[in-house]
Amino acid sequence: MEKVIDLSPVARPKTAAPWSRKSPQFILYASLATVIPSAVALGTIALTGMDFMAALFIVFLPIQIVAAALVGITVYGRRGILEGLLVVATIFLSSFVFVLLGSVIWSVISNGFSALSASFIFQNNYYIQPKTSLEFGGVGHSIIGSLLIVGLSTIVTVPLGLATAVYLTETQGKSKGVIRTLLQAMSGLPSVVSGLFIYAMFIASGITTYAGWTGSLALIPLMLPTVARVTEEALRLVPVELRNGALALGAPAWRAFVQVTLPAAKSGIVTAILLGIARVIGETAPLVLTTFAADRTNLNVFDGAMGSLPTYLFNYIAFGFDESIQRAWGAALVILILVAILFISARVASRTRTKARK
Amino acid sequence: MSNLSYHLRAEDVNVWFGERHVLKNVNLAFPTNQVTALIGPSGCGKSTFIRTLNRMHELIPSAGFAGKVLLDDEDIYGDGIDPVKVRLNVGMVFQKPNPFPTMSIQENVLSGLKLSGRKNSNNEELVETSLRRASIWNEVKDRLGDPALSLSGGQQQRLCIARSLAMGPKVLLMDEPCSALDPGSTRRVEETILELAPEMTIVIVTHNMQQAQRVADQTAFFLSEDGNPGHVVEFGATEQVFGQPIDPRTNDYVNGHFG
Repeated sequence: MEKVIDLSPVARPKTAAPWSRKSPQFILYASLATVIPSAVALGTIALTGMDFMAALFIVFLPIQIVAAALVGITVYGRRGILEGLLVVATIFLSSFVFVLLGSVIWSVISNGFSALSASFIFQNNYYIQPKTSLEFGGVGHSIIGSLLIVGLSTIVTVPLGLATAVYLTETQGKSKGVIRTLLQAMSGLPSVVSGLFIYAMFIASGITTYAGWTGSLALIPLMLPTVARVTEEALRLVPVELRNGALALGAPAWRAFVQVTLPAAKSGIVTAILLGIARVIGETAPLVLTTFAADRTNLNVFDGAMGSLPTYLFNYIAFGFDESIQRAWGAALVILILVAILFISARVASRTRTKARK
Repeated sequence: MSNLSYHLRAEDVNVWFGERHVLKNVNLAFPTNQVTALIGPSGCGKSTFIRTLNRMHELIPSAGFAGKVLLDDEDIYGDGIDPVKVRLNVGMVFQKPNPFPTMSIQENVLSGLKLSGRKNSNNEELVETSLRRASIWNEVKDRLGDPALSLSGGQQQRLCIARSLAMGPKVLLMDEPCSALDPGSTRRVEETILELAPEMTIVIVTHNMQQAQRVADQTAFFLSEDGNPGHVVEFGATEQVFGQPIDPRTNDYVNGHFG
């Protein structure tokens, strides 16, 4: 007998993903379980004047756990208890992480925002005393200094890191093991040691006075492991079929790499460079020892002390006056903004032109 | 078969991966402008063998090779022969379609020229002829600038064929070109193979016996028994290999008794 299957749209039931199907009863219970514990906790604080953190852990959390377990058991039966508890644990712990991260960003923004002004961003710090009003002077020279110092290290580190990654992924070199171990050791190097080494080698020995390039040099070993290892991962993710396809067309290995592997790994490599920059842009210890600090704008990385945002922050927080601490917060906010601008612009620039079909 | 000429001949081909001997004394002659299928159970060395025909097996660092592969009477393993130059004359299509994801359809067709550092005077014409020969022109002619990955799997595979054809190879190697494709796309690729056959020598590895019978003039049966290196058990006209196999092992394999 022939089976007739009606496939007309009307005949088919409307289906939704199982996790999106919620009964009205469940929605009611879940909303109650969300609202009641918070209400009770807030009520306790209002009535007894209990400390917020104490109320969170002593009142809110136990009630919330019981409420979630109750919802679980009424809707799904016994296996629902674990479900309810896991939902509470997931939301509670992840909001903890968000609150931590958010509070760092918030404290920098709230404290630093009042320091921000055109003069703070564009002026340098010449003739400024720790107690000078914030109307005068700023971090302009430090922004330029940071960009120059980190820029110079990036120019040196990126080719080095790329070459290292290419050696690790594209060749059959014999010393891969040694290189990997060295990179790992390097990523564990305390930044102050790197600064001290450059200080001893170039400055204490009298080869040069404090100068921007010595700071760049001190940042290279901190940046290199990040750039090399993330680039290595990005290159490894390029399917071997693409490489073989290029070679089978009669491409020399270097052309296959430059024209096929490299473009396919582009956004990963941009990420590697960004992570490298992010790793060093806030470094203070190596810069204090090598570029020192300056009040005036210095555009020459090869001569003389140079200001930078981390050293500016470090100096002004140490003065301890209200005005100087205000300046330090301002500098911290400028670093955050700088990193954000760098990240966003690099992401936009590396967005792949062609997109895979869905 | 005595009046046939042979574009490509393998003489006493042996391959090792490290200590493991994977191919032993393979002697095969591929008649000019005909299709030869290589069949055999998994692990019998047929994919390794097809890679020795354009020296792609050398990408595996531990690979060792002995023997000769003569392309128009010149040993591609001879002294001073650059494997990169060999691959210009011997195109290859892989199991999984592998168009270059960062390039458009048109750029993919021309990628071989760019990758080998060659110049061509009339790119538009080359793109059209290559795509026509791979019988995909009508499907993509209005969207040559679209990303290659916007095509379906079967179209991607025919794009990869077009990419190889643009280099004007004398020999085309295909390593299970349809194993990742649906039946409809498989049929299109097979039609393409048959259309190309009069103008070039094609070697195709396949697990699909019907496919071998549909497209191949000659068939070689590879086998690796009890850990012995792979070798050719039987080689002859496709009708003979499938119809009246001489070796009982061939008979068992083509009739589905093992493998």
